[in-house]
Amino acid sequence: MPPLMAIEFLCRVADVLSDYLGGLNEDVIKDNFIIVYELLDEMIDNGFPLTTEPNILREMIAQPNIVSKVLSVVTGNSSNVSETRPGATASCVPWRTTDPKYANNEVYVDLVEEMDATINRDGVLVKCEIYGEVQVNSHLSGLPDLTLSFANTSILDDVRFHPCVRFRPWESNQILSFVPPDGQFKLMSYRVKKLKSTPIYVKPQLTSGGGTCRVDVLVGIRNDPGKTIDSITVQFQLPHCILSADMTSNHGTVNILANKTCLWSIGRIPKDKAPSMSGTLVLETGLERLHVFPTFQVAFRVMGVALSGLQIDKLDLKNLPNRPYKGFRALTRAGEFEVRS
Amino acid sequence: MTVGIDVSSLFGEMVMCSATSDIVLKKMCYLYVGNYAKVNPDLALLTINFLQRDCKDEDPMIRGLALRSLCSLRVANLVEYLVGPLGSGLKDNNNYVRTVAVMGVLKLYHISASTCVDADFPAMLKHSMLNDSDAQVVANCLSALQEIWSSEASSSEEASREREALLSKPVVYYFLNRIKEFSEWAQCLVLELVGKYVPSETSEIFDIMNLLEDRLQHANGAVVLATIKVFLQLTLSMTDVHQQVYERIKAPLLTLVSSGSPEQSYAVLSHLHLLVMRAPFIFSSDYKHFYCQYNEPSYVKKLKLEMLTAVANESNTYEIVTELCEYAANVDIPIARESIRAVGKIALQQYDVNAIVDRLLQFLEMEKDYVTAEALVLVKDLLRKYPQWSQDCIAVVGNISSKNIQEPKAKAALIWMLGEYSQDMHDAPYILESLIENWEDEHSAEVRLHLLTAVMKCFFKRPPETQKALGAALAAGLADFHQDVHDRALFYYRLLQYNVSVAQRVVDPPKQAVSVFADTQSSEIKDRIFDEFNSLSVVYQKPSYMFTDKEHRGPFEFSDELGHLSIGAESTGTVVPAQRVEANDKDLLLSVSEKEESGGPSNNASAYSAPSYDGSSVSAAASSQMLSELAISSVTGHASQSSLAIDDLLGLGLPVAPAPAPSPPLLKLNSKAVLDPGTFQQKWRQLPISLSQEYSVSPRGVAALTAPQALLRHMQGHSIHCIASGGQSPNYKFFFFAQKAEESSTFLVECIINTSSAKAQIKIKADDQSASEAFSTLFQSALSEFGLP
Repeated sequence: MPPLMAIEFLCRVADVLSDYLGGLNEDVIKDNFIIVYELLDEMIDNGFPLTTEPNILREMIAQPNIVSKVLSVVTGNSSNVSETRPGATASCVPWRTTDPKYANNEVYVDLVEEMDATINRDGVLVKCEIYGEVQVNSHLSGLPDLTLSFANTSILDDVRFHPCVRFRPWESNQILSFVPPDGQFKLMSYRVKKLKSTPIYVKPQLTSGGGTCRVDVLVGIRNDPGKTIDSITVQFQLPHCILSADMTSNHGTVNILANKTCLWSIGRIPKDKAPSMSGTLVLETGLERLHVFPTFQVAFRVMGVALSGLQIDKLDLKNLPNRPYKGFRALTRAGEFEVRS
Repeated sequence: MTVGIDVSSLFGEMVMCSATSDIVLKKMCYLYVGNYAKVNPDLALLTINFLQRDCKDEDPMIRGLALRSLCSLRVANLVEYLVGPLGSGLKDNNNYVRTVAVMGVLKLYHISASTCVDADFPAMLKHSMLNDSDAQVVANCLSALQEIWSSEASSSEEASREREALLSKPVVYYFLNRIKEFSEWAQCLVLELVGKYVPSETSEIFDIMNLLEDRLQHANGAVVLATIKVFLQLTLSMTDVHQQVYERIKAPLLTLVSSGSPEQSYAVLSHLHLLVMRAPFIFSSDYKHFYCQYNEPSYVKKLKLEMLTAVANESNTYEIVTELCEYAANVDIPIARESIRAVGKIALQQYDVNAIVDRLLQFLEMEKDYVTAEALVLVKDLLRKYPQWSQDCIAVVGNISSKNIQEPKAKAALIWMLGEYSQDMHDAPYILESLIENWEDEHSAEVRLHLLTAVMKCFFKRPPETQKALGAALAAGLADFHQDVHDRALFYYRLLQYNVSVAQRVVDPPKQAVSVFADTQSSEIKDRIFDEFNSLSVVYQKPSYMFTDKEHRGPFEFSDELGHLSIGAESTGTVVPAQRVEANDKDLLLSVSEKEESGGPSNNASAYSAPSYDGSSVSAAASSQMLSELAISSVTGHASQSSLAIDDLLGLGLPVAPAPAPSPPLLKLNSKAVLDPGTFQQKWRQLPISLSQEYSVSPRGVAALTAPQALLRHMQGHSIHCIASGGQSPNYKFFFFAQKAEESSTFLVECIINTSSAKAQIKIKADDQSASEAFSTLFQSALSEFGLP
């Protein structure tokens, strides 16, 4: 048994269920057990995965919605099957419903990137990588044919595609040519490695002695990406051997959470001063110095910029009755961004 | 769904309810019926009517649904009602119904195999597999047929032929050409099939790889991994292309690791781990990918640490060790320990030892008990390999107070160093003495054993200071309740009584530096795991026979092995447990007693060993399997001379080869012998090993092995034919067979040639056991001529 097949399938089941039920927890499953049964019935038979494409499933099993709930309460009829029963998988493109129709044709392309970085105690960037996704939300009628091209594909290290992407155009010209599924999906994911710098710096300093430990953390902008960096937080796990901690900051709020995590929410970095947090940790009696050094985890978000530098060149649409609306967005956030002390 | 309440009493009502036209209600009724039909086989009969009628409904959804539920009843006496609907379901014009029907056939097969075969369903499935227009139907047919034929194969000749036909060129090509139509799950299935296919020409290999290359960029990790398996299997015989494949698959694998849930990345990492272990140099520039993230679960971190150890080389050691040292201050204690161990392992790999020793010594000064403990064990190992560092290490180790060390392993290591370097450590005798005073409080027998030995060693070096301690130690040892400690004390005591200088030669001989530490997993096991790429074996880091029950290992499994040349069966004994390194007296004693026990005929613990082992003749291989499971230093068949030497020493040598029968002087082989692979497998399974030996191969032969084909031609010249071959430098594996000239008696040979040690291990199985000796001589002479001009 290929292990990834099982794990991928379970992840897919979870995705589909949360897609259908708008969340996934015990109560939701209990409330909607009929739909869960129906879905599992179609997704796996005799231990072999069958249909997992959300679009096809949606054709076979209607999604629960308020209208059907009201209807079932009023009429006492519990059926949530769509009136037009599908000819199973009639569509020639398996990930697309037969013939969706929209009044406004629109397509949105989002570049969502996550920056993973490790900075060691000397402030040296040990590792910095970006894992990005191209997310597309398409509401297009008929069977459109899209081509998306990038300005600089050479920076990409490795790419993975949704099954709808045709391989040949990419191989020859680095162009994504595809017939999109309906709704939100992940068109492509990519990796960019060997980045040289991070947008912000975090400098922790720990000095311990005499049963206490002094902590100072400085945060500032290192490399201005041109857009505002917001939602900055810095958190670290207090070591077990700490009795109490007293931390203050000159900007933002510092909270010590129940699981002994110290969370410093900064938000945006002000123009006039560099945010800093400082305080003392009191160690357990008998301990002179701190032997474990906490790792600081940093989170931030930059709207409007893909920090890897990847840029969308253009998006062409064919096979459409009227001019669609095209929207582009970019977003970078911190993934596993950690600073060791 | 019913919170554990048995609602089967409502069966009758539910059956009535099934007549509804509401499809959701129907589904739920069918679910109920499927659940409780087993308990109420009589009442289940009632539902048949409804279900059969629904199978003829005009709505394909209902037809499919009814058919699926009908097959899910799993009541043996209702199978007669299944045949009709299934037959028409397979011919239905709607693909949904056909998909369901194909799976239904498989379900029927599991309820009643004979009904399924009698109704000729396998043939119908085969027809639709090759002709149906819907990819899902085809995929279901494939999975159903694979299952049916492989369980039928043991009883029916035809089924096993059909099973092999699945791997024939036209069928495989048919699937490959349609691969893009299949769903991602079905693609995995097809790729698995392709992985078993053995192309006849090199051009085919490249065609297949070109066709499948874009699968490496699929969003589904399972497809990517299945494709990688195909690539690796196809290129096994072509070393240079194999390397290129590694280069090509590196990026997709690394991407897979960094995306998805921790579970996904763990599964991928285990595969990556396997590849890294096989070809560390290819990944050595990507070492940063194996750096641990703070948030990762420790099972992921552990794998990453192992990989960091493996990829270390001259250029990156400094950075890797720096990184590892940061983990030593990690909050996660097991990981901190692992990382210290990793540092030590890198040091043992001989890169940049100087700097690493310094760091290890820094660990010793970190004042954290677990760090000190791990570091002590490592310093001990380092000293065994690099005695030249002893001065530096001793200075630091001498400052460590033995009272602060609680862990037995670390304590034993410290005591070992005290004994070994007592001439350089000023207060060694006194530390030992104080340890002996606390003999009663020492709970670990291992530490007490080490203490005895250390005091002995110290005594030989500094007699006046140690004499008192030695006396106390021997007295305490003799009174010890632990058998091994008692025995060792007694042994030392008598040895000293007999002759002190002899005792010194026995207990404290001049030592040679250990050049290579034994690996925990033999290359054989690793190869087996590699052959089971993209399966749970990789995640468990064990070949499948170690964790599956015998009955679940179908005959299919075995043929896979021959196809991929991964026989581990006959050589299971090559597992060398880690403890082997510290083969102290305790281990020896234990392993001797184990041997006596397992020498008997009850050797079926060994997974693949032929059933008809006659205990004494070949128990070495079989019993070592058992021994290795017990993780005890074991006799590894003929493979390890060192343990054989120990056997000889103790006069317990197992007869590795049976007493040769008076062999005919001359053996003539049939130069045109033929044997098909199926028969070979069957015979290999049935026959016991009649002879297993190790030869050396001439350097010229080793050189000529760069082209393994040459050996095959050479052996053919001696009427010994090759049926399968494989492996990579330095390990090659061949299966040969030969036939006697006059009669049809055959000889089967497994031959493993290791080019680095220039040794060939062979195992011979023969119809005519008595002739195997003569055949072995012939084989050896043929092999020794190989490579001569």
